[in-house]
Amino acid sequence: MRVADIAPMLNGTIVGGIEAADKEANGGYVSDLLSDVMGNANAGDVWVTIQKHVNTIAVAHLRDIAAIVLANGRQPEDETVRRAAEEQVPVILTQLPVFDVAGILYGVGLRGGRKP
Amino acid sequence: MFTLDTHMHTCLSPCADLDMHPTAIVATAIQAGLDGIVVCDHNSAENLAAVQRAGQRVGLSVLAGMEIASAEEVHVVALLPDLEAALKLQRRVYAELPGKNDEEAFGMQVVAGEDGEVLGFNQRLLIGATTMSVEEVVAAIHDAGGVAVAAHVDREGFGIIGQLGMIPPGLALDALEVSRLTPLSVARLKYVPSGELPLLCGSDAHEPKFVGTAVTFMLLQEPTFAEVNAALAEKSGRTVLGGGRPMEDLSMHILDIAQNSIEAGASSVEISLVEDIARDLLEIEVRDDGKGMDPETIAKVADPFFTTRTTRKVGMGLAFLAQAAQAAGGELSIKSEPGQGTRVKASFGLSHIDRAPIGDVETTLMVLLAGHDNVDLTFRHSIGGREFSLCTADLKEAAGGGPLSTPAGLALLRQAIRLGESSLREPDPARQTRRPGNQTAASLEVNNEYRDR
Repeated sequence: MRVADIAPMLNGTIVGGIEAADKEANGGYVSDLLSDVMGNANAGDVWVTIQKHVNTIAVAHLRDIAAIVLANGRQPEDETVRRAAEEQVPVILTQLPVFDVAGILYGVGLRGGRKP
Repeated sequence: MFTLDTHMHTCLSPCADLDMHPTAIVATAIQAGLDGIVVCDHNSAENLAAVQRAGQRVGLSVLAGMEIASAEEVHVVALLPDLEAALKLQRRVYAELPGKNDEEAFGMQVVAGEDGEVLGFNQRLLIGATTMSVEEVVAAIHDAGGVAVAAHVDREGFGIIGQLGMIPPGLALDALEVSRLTPLSVARLKYVPSGELPLLCGSDAHEPKFVGTAVTFMLLQEPTFAEVNAALAEKSGRTVLGGGRPMEDLSMHILDIAQNSIEAGASSVEISLVEDIARDLLEIEVRDDGKGMDPETIAKVADPFFTTRTTRKVGMGLAFLAQAAQAAGGELSIKSEPGQGTRVKASFGLSHIDRAPIGDVETTLMVLLAGHDNVDLTFRHSIGGREFSLCTADLKEAAGGGPLSTPAGLALLRQAIRLGESSLREPDPARQTRRPGNQTAASLEVNNEYRDR
């Protein structure tokens, strides 16, 4: 599933790494603790969070995350969007709460906890 | 040399014990041998003035502080010049702190007077997070003239690395704080492998019994904010010598015994720390040429109620060292004669589950040297077959014969200890399997984080 196809499912808009929206997403992860994401998320995951600090982009880059979903109507800091564009990390902004985002993505077949 | 606990709460913090009122805090701090404390309530400084007045009565320096929660739920400790600066910062924080406290859920937020009397209750949601980003928090602290310290970096929840995965590049922190969960020696390798920032040890006490369970030793003229600020910036000869957990770390016990030696008029103190993996034995020995003790005194020193000193800076005395040794299947022995010096030897089962952590020997040596240039220190540390030894007389010679308790001398000593200690840790190709849970893997992992900085 392409990141570009996920955004409309969440009524979301993509900011930051817009050109990378063709990337394939093949799993999901939910967490706001960045050290936890670093340790446990898989490459290719869509990462759902409310954490909008610029470090999310560094962590996404490090773990080869397909896209970040910034849920609950959170607005990213300018620096976060700038770095996301620089590192080509798509960030989907949505008004939906984290729970609903995870439910929708699960419903279309994405799963968590895959073994790398 | 001054001993400070740089992080503790009062009964104003909803999560803190109601017993953490001003008089109790200062009394416990004095008992723990502290010269200074920093009061850091969550997002507030309303009890600061009362603790400062209580401190004044007993001669304890109470520095202004606050523990601010950023929007990312990163806790940042502010060390502030004075009450006025704290109140200025408090106005800024209150403007960005939404919510109302629920006493049932989070606990009471008692505004107390200097005698511990209840003056009122704070109604704000002090346990909550501000709407300021961590960058804005640091900037607000600097605006108020303070220094910004990332609180308990070794804790996953509310620590900056746990919340944000790494320290944001370019964040203008002045120091990192290590909680009482982690020995300083381990924290240094994990978080500041190249000495990026000074490390402070603070107890984060929420109950009186934890006050002074993690302390920082600083070389200062007096325990004031201006001096602490200079020490963090390594200015005017002020410096952070190290830190540790006086109740736990064996390195703190060693410091205590060696300070006894110096007080007994020793001109030479030999410290040896042997980790004998083959015999599963840890042996600590401190030998001095001081005035020695008669049999009567030797019998008494292992009594927890006996001391020849009126104040105790660190450690719990030989009685507690004996207890720590016995708990780990070892024993304490003291050999001494009047005029013949003293030898204290403690043994422990190296892999014994109850064996106390070694702690940070760098701190032990730095603190000993900083105050006592006239004493020759010899330190020997061996792990398995590897050994590192250091003699301050040799270092003095290398430094051109001058005193070592100068900034340059202390830097030389610090460098020598770090080189020596790291030579003991280097992976040995001949023996790949070391004790499980050794620090090497963890420090490599965090070094990767640092590569991104």
